[in-house]
Amino acid sequence: MAKDKLQIKKLYALSSENRKFSFSLPLKNTIRIGKRNYEVKLKADEKYGTYILWKNRKYPVEIISSRQNKYEILFNDISYTFTVETPFSLQRMKVLNSKKGKVEREFIKAPMPGKIIDVLVREGSNVLRGEPVVILEAMKMQNEILSPVNGVIVKVSASTNTNVMKDDLLVEIKL
Amino acid sequence: MGICHYNMKIKRILIANRGEIAVRIMKTARLMNIETIAIKTAVEPNAMYLSLADVIFDNTEDVSEIPVFLDIEKLIAIVLKTQANAVHPGYGFLAENAYFAQKCIDNKIIYIGPSPDAIYKMGNKTIARKIASAGGIPMAMGSEDNITNEEEAVVIAEKIGYPVIIKAASGGGGRGMRIVRKSEEMAKMFVIASKEAENAFNDPSVFVEKYIENPKHIEFQILGDTKGNVIHLGERECSIQRKHQKLIEEAPSSALDEKLREKMGTMAVRIAKAVNYHSAGTVEFLLDSDRKFYFMEMNTRIQVEHPVTEIITGIDLIEQQILVANGEVLKFRQEDIKLKGWAIECRINAEDVQAGFAPDPGKIESIYMPSYPCVRIDTGVQAGSSIVASYDSMIAKLIVRGKDRKEAIKNCKMALDKVWIKGTKTTLPFFRMLVRHQKFQDGTFTTAFIEKDLDKYYFNSEYEEMLAAWLATKLFVEENLNDDSINIDFKHGKEMSPWLLNKRINQF
Repeated sequence: MAKDKLQIKKLYALSSENRKFSFSLPLKNTIRIGKRNYEVKLKADEKYGTYILWKNRKYPVEIISSRQNKYEILFNDISYTFTVETPFSLQRMKVLNSKKGKVEREFIKAPMPGKIIDVLVREGSNVLRGEPVVILEAMKMQNEILSPVNGVIVKVSASTNTNVMKDDLLVEIKL
Repeated sequence: MGICHYNMKIKRILIANRGEIAVRIMKTARLMNIETIAIKTAVEPNAMYLSLADVIFDNTEDVSEIPVFLDIEKLIAIVLKTQANAVHPGYGFLAENAYFAQKCIDNKIIYIGPSPDAIYKMGNKTIARKIASAGGIPMAMGSEDNITNEEEAVVIAEKIGYPVIIKAASGGGGRGMRIVRKSEEMAKMFVIASKEAENAFNDPSVFVEKYIENPKHIEFQILGDTKGNVIHLGERECSIQRKHQKLIEEAPSSALDEKLREKMGTMAVRIAKAVNYHSAGTVEFLLDSDRKFYFMEMNTRIQVEHPVTEIITGIDLIEQQILVANGEVLKFRQEDIKLKGWAIECRINAEDVQAGFAPDPGKIESIYMPSYPCVRIDTGVQAGSSIVASYDSMIAKLIVRGKDRKEAIKNCKMALDKVWIKGTKTTLPFFRMLVRHQKFQDGTFTTAFIEKDLDKYYFNSEYEEMLAAWLATKLFVEENLNDDSINIDFKHGKEMSPWLLNKRINQF
């Protein structure tokens, strides 16, 4: 639809640690460092799979997930998450963030696949920051999953003796 | 590895293990003209280790809950059925199970490892402590016997002084261990340690000893024969650990000089002799900042990190284990052992370094390892293999040598940049950071290194994040912009499978 289409000249990739990288459109296959432009090539072959060729070096790349404008990319074995924003969406995001203030919910997810050994909280109970909420056993080690915030438990999705996958919701906390 | 001129009783070995150690054992057995049998399981029916065996025993129909590698009765039955006459347990699984070793002997099967008596005595930490104490081996102060309740633990802790560590009597691999810094924590920690010990080892017994702050982990490789000869093959340093799991090992250690090496080595041999030890074994010590050392435990098996010792001594430890099991006398004396050069081993595991080393099981899409004279790769994985959640997360061991420590680190850095693994996250970014870290280069790190000295667990060069950002932007453009314009359709944002990427690249 026409009104959803906007003329844009720049895109921003925002990292999960809030670093901002800007790229002019149309997107070039070169990146400027100091006074020189270096060519970036995205390639694939049978031996290496997908890789980026930059300054005569090959870096393995994989796309772990891509959802709307959010991308998780494995670059040289390190994972980076970016949201790609236009100048307009970036502006809108800033406005929304300033209105919303801080987050109200904390979702505690399984940091690794494993088995729930014990659930230490109930719905309605209070938790303090640093207090263990769930004990998760993974690859023969028991891990205490701690609450990162103070709040009230509003939902317990984890149950004892069940297996969970990475990123499965365990507990929801209202701040 | 020399060609074998011995009269071998051992004709056919059942490998009671999987993964890289199964591959490692079979390689040496082949050089010795000994046949090997590997077990095919339903969990890993296409595993690489199967391709090296002379005979494959198909156990894929077995639906029992315990893995076959832990099922003593079944393993004995397989040996008898396949007419093997020896068993190699590898590491993990039944490698330190005295009952399994005894069962083999009872069935006239040669067990490639120490005697059941030595396994039992060293496997029980309380008994091992008593033996060490009787032999005058330096040890951290602690309880004489197992402790049954927290009151008793508090009394002992008050006597030896906090901090103390509670350890499982039957423990290993860091499970059932808790550090206690003040008496108020004792009750809680005692229960946790004891419960964890019971879950992991079917034995809730624990004991208490003085906790050595920030030590180095130094272990000695022992080799003994059945005629009472025991020697050591120098030390390995394995101080870089998280949750008591080793990540990188080297031999020798920069913390030892010739004098200290001889002193610790003599103690290691003495404790091995006290249990009439034969085969390969490892005596672990903690070394504190005053260069005082304390006996920790003895591992009665081949270790994961054995290759670094093989590199600096030129001795094939698996070959020695097989020869000793065959009844041969060691052909080396202590004075024949000369340590030459330096070796470093990186354990490349399927783990997410950025998520606190959480296991990241999955299928290895592609794997490429450098081949240089200074590099040795021990692996049980090839492209298409899966790292399954039911076993450990090991992908490969990258073992690098140099004429000295500096050169070994330099070669390691070079080799790490050439390793290419796709499909799971790995510990590679951690090692790339480590070889560049000043404290690692200086050799001054301790077991507290990961916890205390690091603020970042991985290494990326200056422009890597920017390049990743460029790729994200590129994908966004490909997905959202029409070819002929720079208009973005905000309604478009739908999911894209990572496999679509390949197709798209071909269009670039």
